[in-house]
This record gives sequence, structure tokens and C-alpha cells, in this order.
Amino acid sequence: MKKVIASILVLIMFVTVLSSCGSSSGTNNVIRVWVGEESVSFYKAVCEEYLAAHEDFGFTIDVKGMDTGSIAGTIATDPKAAADIYTVAHDNIGKLAATECAKPIGDQSLIDQVLADNPEPFQNVVYSTLNGQKYLFAVPYISQALFLYYNKALVTEEQAASFEGLREAAIAANTKAVTVTGDDGYNMSFALLATKVSDHSTTVKIYEGAESVSGGTKGTSNCQGDDTIAILRWLQDYAEDPNGFKWASPDGWDADLDKNNKGVLAVIGGAWHYNTAKAALGETNLGIALIPTLTLTASSVEGLTGVSAGDVYRGGTFADCKCFMINANSAKEKYAKEQELIKFLSSKEIQNRSFLECLNVPAYVGASQFIEQCYNEGKVTESQYSLAAYQVSMAEWGIPQPFITGTLNTYYYSKNAPAVFRAIIDKTAYPTTGDVIIPETNTLEGIRKALYLIEYIWMHGSNPKSFPDTLPASA
Amino acid sequence: MGKEKKLSHDAKSTTFLEDVRNAFSTFKKRLVDGSIGTKLSHLIFGVGNLLHGQIIKGLLFLSLQAGILAIMILCPTINDTPYGWKALANLSLKNVTVGGEFDPLTGEMTIGSDCKLMILFGFVTIALIVIYFLIWNLNINSSYKADLAKRAGKKPTTFREDLRELFDGKFYVLMLTPTCIAATIFTILPTIFMISIAFTTYNQQDMNELHTNLFGWNGFQNFVSVFTGEGSLGMEINNRFLPVLGWTFIWAILATLTCYFGGIILALLINKKGLKGKKIFRTIFILTIAVPQFISLLAVRNILGEYGPINTLLLNWGWITEPIGFLGLKPGDSELLAKVMVIVINMWVGIPYTMLMTSGILMNIPTDLYEAARVDGASTTKMFFKITLPYVVFVTTPYLISSFVGNINSFNSIYLLTGGGPTYTGYQAGGTDLLVTWLYKVTIDQGSYNTGAVIGIFTFIITATITLITYRRSKAYNEEDTFQ
Amino acid sequence: MKDNVKVKKFKSQTANRRIGLGVTYTMLIVGGIVWLIPLIWIFLSAFRCEYQDGTFIGRVTSNFFPNAVGFENFRLLFTSTYYGVEGAFLKWMGNTLLIAAIDCVISTLLVLSVAYCMSKLRFKLRRAFMNMSMIIGLFPGFMSMIAIYFLLKSIGLTGNPAHPEYSVIGLIFAYSAGAGLGFQVAKGFFDVIPNALVESAKLDGCSNSKIFWRIILPLSKPIIIYQALMSFTGPWMDFIFAKVIIGADNAQYWTVSVGLYSMLFGTHPDTNLFTQFAAGCVIVAIPIVSLFMFLQKYYVEGVTAGAVKG
Repeated sequence: MKKVIASILVLIMFVTVLSSCGSSSGTNNVIRVWVGEESVSFYKAVCEEYLAAHEDFGFTIDVKGMDTGSIAGTIATDPKAAADIYTVAHDNIGKLAATECAKPIGDQSLIDQVLADNPEPFQNVVYSTLNGQKYLFAVPYISQALFLYYNKALVTEEQAASFEGLREAAIAANTKAVTVTGDDGYNMSFALLATKVSDHSTTVKIYEGAESVSGGTKGTSNCQGDDTIAILRWLQDYAEDPNGFKWASPDGWDADLDKNNKGVLAVIGGAWHYNTAKAALGETNLGIALIPTLTLTASSVEGLTGVSAGDVYRGGTFADCKCFMINANSAKEKYAKEQELIKFLSSKEIQNRSFLECLNVPAYVGASQFIEQCYNEGKVTESQYSLAAYQVSMAEWGIPQPFITGTLNTYYYSKNAPAVFRAIIDKTAYPTTGDVIIPETNTLEGIRKALYLIEYIWMHGSNPKSFPDTLPASA
Repeated sequence: MGKEKKLSHDAKSTTFLEDVRNAFSTFKKRLVDGSIGTKLSHLIFGVGNLLHGQIIKGLLFLSLQAGILAIMILCPTINDTPYGWKALANLSLKNVTVGGEFDPLTGEMTIGSDCKLMILFGFVTIALIVIYFLIWNLNINSSYKADLAKRAGKKPTTFREDLRELFDGKFYVLMLTPTCIAATIFTILPTIFMISIAFTTYNQQDMNELHTNLFGWNGFQNFVSVFTGEGSLGMEINNRFLPVLGWTFIWAILATLTCYFGGIILALLINKKGLKGKKIFRTIFILTIAVPQFISLLAVRNILGEYGPINTLLLNWGWITEPIGFLGLKPGDSELLAKVMVIVINMWVGIPYTMLMTSGILMNIPTDLYEAARVDGASTTKMFFKITLPYVVFVTTPYLISSFVGNINSFNSIYLLTGGGPTYTGYQAGGTDLLVTWLYKVTIDQGSYNTGAVIGIFTFIITATITLITYRRSKAYNEEDTFQ
Repeated sequence: MKDNVKVKKFKSQTANRRIGLGVTYTMLIVGGIVWLIPLIWIFLSAFRCEYQDGTFIGRVTSNFFPNAVGFENFRLLFTSTYYGVEGAFLKWMGNTLLIAAIDCVISTLLVLSVAYCMSKLRFKLRRAFMNMSMIIGLFPGFMSMIAIYFLLKSIGLTGNPAHPEYSVIGLIFAYSAGAGLGFQVAKGFFDVIPNALVESAKLDGCSNSKIFWRIILPLSKPIIIYQALMSFTGPWMDFIFAKVIIGADNAQYWTVSVGLYSMLFGTHPDTNLFTQFAAGCVIVAIPIVSLFMFLQKYYVEGVTAGAVKG
């Protein structure tokens, strides 16, 4: 068995390639940028402009489009192959910072710009810790919040203002009133984060040791308040109503919204759904509004204190932002220029342009004036204007998901809190570890237990072994 | 049979103990009996060949030794993770470094160890060591053979002769080497890596929560959690493993049998005497094989969708008032209906395949069998059950086994049609999830690699058991040589 | 009398046969229609060309037959920029063709050489090799995807920002590397070739290599074509491996199935792309289907050989 020359040759090739191709340099003069697939052309052009204006930049820029949903996963799988600068929704900041995929921002002028331009909630979420020290990790440049798209042909503006009005229209059209674009925690936030219209109050506190959603008193995380329970009971009824709430269709919410299918009259969605919604309804039929209000019924407040029938609440939203981040594995030589580039890309001017060209709603404070100005100058259509305007006003009824300071970030999704939430609305049982099973959530106790579970998941990242004897109890 | 003699014996089967004994005696013989060169070859590869004047071969051995030793000692790094002896040390996952040091002025940041690469490269290094000793053995052997040739008064083989031998007596070495190397790198090593992950805490979800990219060995904990329900996906595994396993079996049995008998019936229909347009019919059915599955299955999914033509039609006719969730894409949909649908749709994909296969076999059934039966006055149905079916089943038993195993691992049919739905609140595994699609969700979507590996190992155990039992008993295996 | 009975019996037999034939025709025609409907649906969707308030409708619609037909979907498919890549679809087609062609050659060679060794040569580790290959084939493939990714990365063939085009080579490696282990069908075919041929060639002084190239291969056209067909069509159908190996950011080097799949299942799926997806499917399906039709005979032979020798 001595004739192994062929194997030897192949092996030698393997060995030489192995030892020579190890460190793949050659990208040292390129700064690679990953942006959302939908606005890649815009940022490509903008970067080219920037390079043309700054001949001494010293690096070329390579802009690539990525699927926004899977981008964080792609980075986490192999951070060393990821781009130098990437954009993610802010809910990924904590995860990426924790697993050494992201590098803090050190440039004081960029930090100043972030602090000067962005609303306070965004400023709170872009910080994370590294070795016990707090750093700025991300630079917001697009804001995202939910609002309502509705079918103007079948729903009047007044009807679209409340869930009851939508139901009325749905009865007339023999269909369902409203749907969502997915059943994850983000899309369902409208119910959990609903606030009282009269005084913007809610007892929900999702920032550990921080303020309540509406800026009320400080306390630990809590979502077992009587108002939340009342709203969920209301939603249970609304979901059971043949002309009420409908879960997202497996064919896509837009198939539901389609003016021919008439599966549903309205959908709670975001700016990134605009084109699809427009295609489903046609520009003329596309109505945009705030997330509607709901009025508590007698049955929904039964057995609860602190709420009464007739109280009016408005659906809330997680007001999120998309941010630029720097890859932790990026060469230190690029660091200064990366920050320079991010400073430019996240500047108000570029945010404004990205609104005009890609309908990305800017994240900075005071963007609404610009949007209004654009509308007055005829640069955007009416529906584009109202989309941006309503999103900005919805942000006032919302709160960024606390992905950094609290613990909701890593737990809320991965530990099935949205599934518990769905179980409540569907009035089904929800299994947890071992014997702890929430019975059908059609009783007051069932709902309270389920909410306790969500709360526990927020705070501990796991399911509780048992329930406390008396609820509500803060864990 | 006489002619076959030359082919029909593999090397005598020996027990493992005998193998070891033989290896030792060979080693001793070469070391004692060999020339200086052969003795030196135990330390420096190729010396024996060089001394015998076999320059090229000697240099090849030498360069291989140098290459592997260089990797072992110099430890080249990829993604900051070393190969070589450091990789062996890393395999314990005890030398992990913690990163996160950051200098805001320079932008320099230290990154912690990459545990998955440490494990992977550890195994690559072990493979390299094994290869090293294989080459070591070859090199001594080669040198010793040259010794013997010299002693017998012959010349040691030249490089040209060696090459020629490679195309004749040792042709199988030439033919198998590419596959062996490629399969080792891209199939065996990854499989070993995957198995070892089942014994670690490599779970992206947990790691995010612990704020770390480090993980470690975990013993059999992940397997234990299948029974106890502990761990990050413990509840999921504990409550969903048996339903998924059961459905995987039911699916594999039904999918195999429906397609199999459906295909035979279709083949009988198409091959019926006097039928015109055989070719056209055949072509129509083959179309579903030819069109890539992700196209045809997604088309079916759309047709059966909430607003697809079928639901619309039924609604328009007034037969139903609500769209039917045929494929369990919504959480509340019927699990049973979804299961029935995937089996039916799988028939749509699988029947033409069996039809093609059995067509040929049907035509090969000796006609005198039928003649005899006809003389005895047997009916067509009787002939089908007494002659056709037994013959086809007999001939296609290996296919039945492989298609059963194939169905256990049938990813596309489930993933593209139902996505595993209907989903259940709180669980990854839905009503129609097979082990293999569950595994996909758990690893690729969730990043729970350790749990995924556990599921993968269970899947393997099941398929391997079935295959081994049936395959070892089958004629095709035992009488492999006489079959020719 | 006797004759009469015979004639009657004969008549009733032919009548029976006629009825039987009629039933067969009906069943086959109905079956054929059922089998074709989904394919016709995709085909019709590809030519769907409907507008609503001046907006092009590219969504799944409930009417089976389109209200208007045209080539708009194909125009969009070939001219649109997907994932920031201009003319992406054509590039994807080109990549897939290249990958499929090379994979086809390498895989076929590997399979044939292994199958030949297993069938016609006898050596020490033959049985071990056969058992090993069978066992390995039982592990679910994509479990090892991450490991393959990093092994390829070690040799610079994926995740290599300086040379993203190398990932195409990486993918070819990933596709064809394990091909040799799937030798069973070809071995079944070789087993049927009489050993006498091999023996007599040996007596004439032919080397094993010569026997393989000059005697076995010329007799093996069906199995060569079958293997080539299988390995050629593989890359057109895989949408999981290709995306990981080539990389989510290298849209210009994607294969066509990754591209089409992403069009339908992106994060915020613009469901307006469905008809363009359908158009893409038609374009992908045409060459593959014609290949299958053209080589049907060989395909059937391969399938049959595989069934019997599994």
C-alpha cells in the first residue's frame, strides 16, 4: 500500500492552502457596510457621494443589502465574516454587544450627535455594558412604530378612530375588523401597551426599576395591573366576535386586506408595510390613522378595581429604532473612519433624504417639521405624509422595547412570552415546566397567572416553578 | 460461478485482536529486519526511499511530514483559533479566553475564544494526527518493500512503475482517495463535530442571556433533559419529543406505503394492454419529478391557501363559510387535516417516481407465469395479488427500505408545505413537524445547537437501527457477490 | 351450441376489456389533470398581468385563471434589482448553471469511480468502506452545515470578504465532496455487467484503469447520464445549504433557488413578488424539465437499477 501519490498530492494542496489562506487580508482598505435590503441603492449612492466629497477618506466603501430579519443571526453565526458597519433593529443591540459582535462608539462628536439628535427613549436603549462599563453601542437613524392602515372604501375616518367603529364597519361589510402583520410580541404590543386616553396612564412597567410606560412612578416590572387585565378581557371578546379581531393570515395580512378578498378592513402595521398595503388596497383606498381607541365594557371590568366600564384606552406600540453599529472584529485602523462615516449616514440631512427616497421615517427629534414641510412643498403624497405623521404621533403613545437596561430584550422573545400572550387572547392553556400549567385563560385567575408568567419571563428569563399564593405579586 | 471466483472474496475477515497482533508483528519485523533507511524512516519520513534511490517518493513523504509537523507545531490560526497542538489543548475548552477589553481611543478590542471553532479545529487536528500515522506506516512499508526487493536481487520500483501500478493493481487507491479525502473533510468531520455538540452547552439563546460567547462541555445533561424536561429547551423536548417521534414513524410508514402502492397501480394502469397515449400519460406524471420540489410544493401550498383558488371556489359554492386551513398554517387549524393533507400531497410527488420504477419491473415479469395462471382460470385481481405484487415487492425490497429511511428524513415535503404547523403555543415543534424539521427549527431558527444535535442523534439511532436490521437480512447484502 | 357459447364468452371478454380500458382512460385523465393543476397554476401565475388602480398586482390571487395575461412578470424579473444586485436573476441563473455544470462533472466522476471499485475490484477495506458510507448517509445533512461552513472558511472558500466569488467554489466542494458516498445505484448497475468481460480484458493484459475507461464506461451510458442528471439538477433545488455557504450578503453569487426562495420568504415579504417568483420558477423549470424529458429513458433505467439494488 505504498502508492499514495495521488492522495499525497491532494493532501499537499490542502496543507498549503490551509496554511496560506488562513488570514484573509486584502479587505483592509475597504469598509464594508450592511444595510436593509430595501434601501441598499440609496445608501450605495450616498456613500459614493461621500467618497467623492472626501477624497482623503482612505478607504473604499462596499454597501450590501441584507434581509433585515436574519441579519443579526448571520452576524452572530460568524461575526468575523460580517461587515464593518451593519444596521440592526435596536432589539438586537444587547445581544450583539453581549456576544462580542459589536464595538462601542468612542468618538465624542458622534456621541454628542446621538445625544443631541435623538429622543430620550432612543438614547436609553443604545447603551450597553462591556466589562461592567457603560458604552454607546449604536446610532439610531430610522424610527419604527405601529399605526393603522384601513380600507377607506368601507371605513370612515370616524370609524377608524376606535375599535368599536371598525367593528361597526365590519358588520356592515360582513367581514373582520382588524388584523396584525404577525403574532410576535412586537405586533401584539398594541394591547399590552394600551394607555388611558384621558391621562396617558397605565400600570404596565417593563423597565426593571424604571418608569412606567406613561412616565409614572418607578417600580419593578409589572404587567398584572387591573387595567391590563381589563384590556385583555376586552380583546378576548373582540377576538371571539365574528366581526372583530383576526390573527394574521398564513397567506399574509395583505391577502386579508386585499380589497377584492375583503378578509379584513384594517391592519396594524408599520411604515415598512406601506408599499404592500398600497398594493393591496390601491392608493385611493389606503387610509392611515392612529391605532384606534377601545372602550372597556362592563364584562371586561367585572371583578376588577381601578377600572370602570366606559374607560377609553388607546392601543400603544413599541417605538423602535434601527441603528448603525460597528463590528467588534473590524480592524482598529478603520475605527476612526467608520465613526466618521456613521456620523454622516445618521446625520439629519441623510435621514431626511432617506425618508424622501425610501420612506424611512427619520429617528431624530423634530423630524415631523421636516415631514410637514415636505408635504407642503408637494414632495410627498398625502398618504406618505400621513404615514410619517401618524407614525411620529404614535411614537408619543409608545415606548421603545427595553432591550438594554432591562432584561426584556433577551427574554421576551426567546422565552415564549409572546406565546403566552397569544394563549390569553385565544383563551387556551399554556404549558410550562413540569406541573405548572396555566389553565384555560378564560377566567380572571387564568389571565392573571398568564400575565404573572410574562412578567416572570421578563425578569428571570425562565418559567416560574410555581405560582405565588396571592396574585398580583411582584417577583 | 467459476468465473466469479477471482472477484468473490474480500480479504479474509479477521477479528480485531488478530488485527492488532498482526500490526505489532509487522511493526517488529520491519524495525528489526529493515535496512538502516527503513529504521530511520520510523523517525524521518522518506529516508528509506531516498537511500534506495526513490527520490521523488522519498521527498513526497518528507514534505508531507514537514507539512503536518509544521501545522502541529506552528499552529496556524483561522478566525483567531489555532490548529495544531494548541487545538488539542483547546479541545478541553478549559483554555478559553474572555474578551471584551476595549480601548475607546484606538478602537482596539479583544475578543474572547470561539468555542465552536476550538472543538472543530481540535477534531481536524486529531484527523491530521491519524493521517500522519497512516503516512508513517506507508513510508516504512514502502521502504521495507524496497529492502526486500533489493535482497531478492531486484531493483526497487521506480516512481514511474509506482505510478503505473496505481493505474492497475492499486487502481482502487487512485479511485477512492479523492472520495475518502473529500468525505473525511466535508462529511465525517462535520458529523463528528455535530455529535460532540450534543455534549456541550452550545446554545445561542442561553449564551445571549449569559452575555457570553463561551460554552463548555456538559456531559450527558442534554440527553437527560429529554426525560426530565430541564434545561433551556427541556420543556419542549420533554413534552414534544414523543408526539413528534410518533408522527415521524406514522408519516414514514404511510408516505412510503401510499406512494409505493399508488405507484404500482398507476404503472399497471399506464401499461395496460391496448392503452393508447402511454407516452403522454407517463410524461404528465413525470413532470412532477422534473419540476424542482420547492416550486411544485409551494404551488400546492398557494392553491390550498386561505385565499387560494380552492377555498375561494368552496366559498363561492357556499359549501363552507370560513376558509379551511388545509395545511395547518394557522395555530388553531386542525392537526389531523394537515397530516392527511401532507400525506396526500406527498403521494402527488412520490407516486410518479414509483410508477417509473415499477414500470420497468412489471415488463420483466415472466409472461409464462400469467399464461399458466390464465389457464387455471385466475381472475385479473387474483393474478395481481398472487403474481404481480409478490414479484414487484420481492424485487423492490431494498427500495422500500431506503424510501422509508428517506421519508423519515423528508425535509422538503413538510417544511415547504406546512412549515411544521399547526403550531402550538409555547412550542417550536408543531403538529406536522418531523424530527428533521424540528431539528432545523431548533438549530437554524433558534440557535440551540446542543438540543438540535440531541434530536439529530436520536434520528440517526432510529434510521440506523431500521436500516441495519432490514439491510443485513436482505438478500442484496448477504448474497451481494452471488447476485452478479 | 358449444361454438356459440365460446363466441359469447369471447364477446363478453372484449366488452369487458373495453369497459376496463374506458375506466383506465378516465382514471388516467382525471389523475393527469390533478397532477397538472399545481404546475398549471404556477405557469398561469407567471403570465398574470393584472393592475389595480394603476398598481401592478403581483400577489397570490384567488382567481385560478388570470384576468389579463402578459410578459410583465418576466420583464420585471430580468430587469429588477433584487437585494441590491442589478439584473440579479440573470446572475443567479448563470451562477447556478456554472455550479451545476462543475458539480455534475466532479460528482459523476467520483460516483462512477467509487462504484467501479466497489463492484469490480476486491481489496481489504471494501466492506468497511461500504458500511461506513451507509452509516454516514443516515445523519441529517444540514446538521453539519455550520461545521462545513467553518471548514470551508479555513481554506478561504467562504466567508472571505476579499474574494466573495470563492464561495461559489466552496459551494461546489460542499455539493460534490460527499457525492462519492452515494455510489449504490451505480454499483448496482456495474454489478450487472458480466465479470467475464473484465476477466478476458485482464487476460489480454489490460490494466484496471484501462478496463474502467475502455470497457466499463462505454457500457455505462445510462448510469452516467442518470448520475449526471441527478447531480446537475441538485443545485437548482437546494435553498438551504447554498445560502449559508455563499453568504446572505453575497446576493450576486446566490443560486437561483436561494434567490427565488428569498423573494417569497424575506423578512418583510413583499408579497407583490409572487408572480415574479412564478415567472422565475417557469424559467428554472423549463431547462430542467426538458432535460428530464430528453433523458427520460436513462433516468428510468437509473431509477430502476437503484430500486433493485438500493
